[in-house]
Amino acid sequence: MLNNIKWLFRSGDNSRGCGEDREIVVSSRMRVARNIDGVPFEPKMKVQDAHYLINLIRSVVETRFKGHYLDLQKITHLEKESLLECHLVSPAFIRGDKPAGVFITDKGTVSIMINEEDHLRIQGLTCGLDLPYVSSEVFHIEETIGEDVQYAFHETYGFLTSCPTNIGTGLRASVLLHLPGLVFTNEVEKVLTGAVQIGMAVRGIYGEGSEIKGSLFQISNQHTLGVKEEEMIETMTKLTHMIIDVEKKARDVMLTKARNEFEDKIFRSLAVLKSARVINTDEVLNLLSAVRLGAGAGILKDITLDVVNEILLVSRPANIQLYFGEVLEERERDIKRAEYIRKRLGGDGQ
Amino acid sequence: MLCDDCQKRPATIFFKEILPKKTVELHLCEECAQKRGLATTKKMSPIELLQKLLKEKTAQDAQVICSGCYLSLAEFKRTGRFGCSKCVDSFGSYIKNLIKKVQQSDKHIGRTTRPGEKKGMEIFKLRGQLKKALESEAYEEAAKIRDKLKDFGVENVE
Repeated sequence: MLNNIKWLFRSGDNSRGCGEDREIVVSSRMRVARNIDGVPFEPKMKVQDAHYLINLIRSVVETRFKGHYLDLQKITHLEKESLLECHLVSPAFIRGDKPAGVFITDKGTVSIMINEEDHLRIQGLTCGLDLPYVSSEVFHIEETIGEDVQYAFHETYGFLTSCPTNIGTGLRASVLLHLPGLVFTNEVEKVLTGAVQIGMAVRGIYGEGSEIKGSLFQISNQHTLGVKEEEMIETMTKLTHMIIDVEKKARDVMLTKARNEFEDKIFRSLAVLKSARVINTDEVLNLLSAVRLGAGAGILKDITLDVVNEILLVSRPANIQLYFGEVLEERERDIKRAEYIRKRLGGDGQ
Repeated sequence: MLCDDCQKRPATIFFKEILPKKTVELHLCEECAQKRGLATTKKMSPIELLQKLLKEKTAQDAQVICSGCYLSLAEFKRTGRFGCSKCVDSFGSYIKNLIKKVQQSDKHIGRTTRPGEKKGMEIFKLRGQLKKALESEAYEEAAKIRDKLKDFGVENVE
């Protein structure tokens, strides 16, 4: 059934494994924005420019890399939402009305959005903490395309982008962190305020404007000018290590001070996931947060982080429909979601 | 350490000012620091800052036009998006100031683009020719085009 979500296998390079500290860092992502010199940017782009650009980029990318291209105008609404849920495209990308498409490499680590707000958004993703690896994958593709086409580049401002907030490096790096310890010790706000003070943005799991749920926080850089790419990656990595350290301490405090209560919460959460007949995404996020904590701390020995991550992705509204290969109303989704999770966790009445 | 002012909450902000005759040192919690006006409240994000700055309009905005894509400065202020690679220079000092405020920097110091001969257009054209040749079953012609593509390092020729 999982292969109904064709790109799910691709969102994470399984042959390579994950980066560090997986029990805290869910994933590391990075994207660069690029535009092609001589082609109008998004606000002035006509339909024929959009087609021209797609053809130009496809002819370069498809001859240099192995992967497959998805035409946004030819895939279903459900498939678009699923790509978003798998973090392979941005919300703005699937909501645009111009001809657009995404190329996903066979290796699964990089997706290239053509005709997003910028001509190109090259994005890399991996599980755990490993921004240098993601960055090397992204820049390998960026440089290869750059050998064949001329990027819009300015002596003073660097890489030119449609929005002034991306100008310069066009780079946005982010880490998705699971911080139940800091939420418990009430320190999460303090820690994240510190991150904001050094120029980072903090958001919920699905980026800009999304709510914070399941103790999941996304941290990304705010500025793209006046800082070198490698330095930005290093700063993000250092900051993440700092947060990992305080989260580990908070988890120790939590599991020492209230061991029984937390074990109870973890096992109860797992029990509900294993038995529920109707379940919505918010409830899954909350229960999974406790299960993830239990799996990371070795309290739940039979549950791996891979399973937790898979359930987190597959139980999203569009993915669950693709998984079962049918369009489902909200209520039917909640029933099917519960069915999938029971089966995945070896629960009762599978 | 407790806050010097309220003596209740832990101090998280350390303030030091060196005056001619004495040095003032304060250890404050965030709430008290804000009361004294020493801590800024929530920092504005670049996007929020950009949206705020774009609201400052002048009567001349409609007359400032980009030489590349004919986007007016007024239009730019409405959307906050550039129309082409010439806009930044066409809107000159306005953009310079805007970028400096939004990005807290005015100079790119990162990677650069490699100038030189770009084969993208050529590959693009050759692939089009190859497709046509194959469609009209001109296989000899197609073989020649394939060789040219291979010269560009293109392996994946269908």
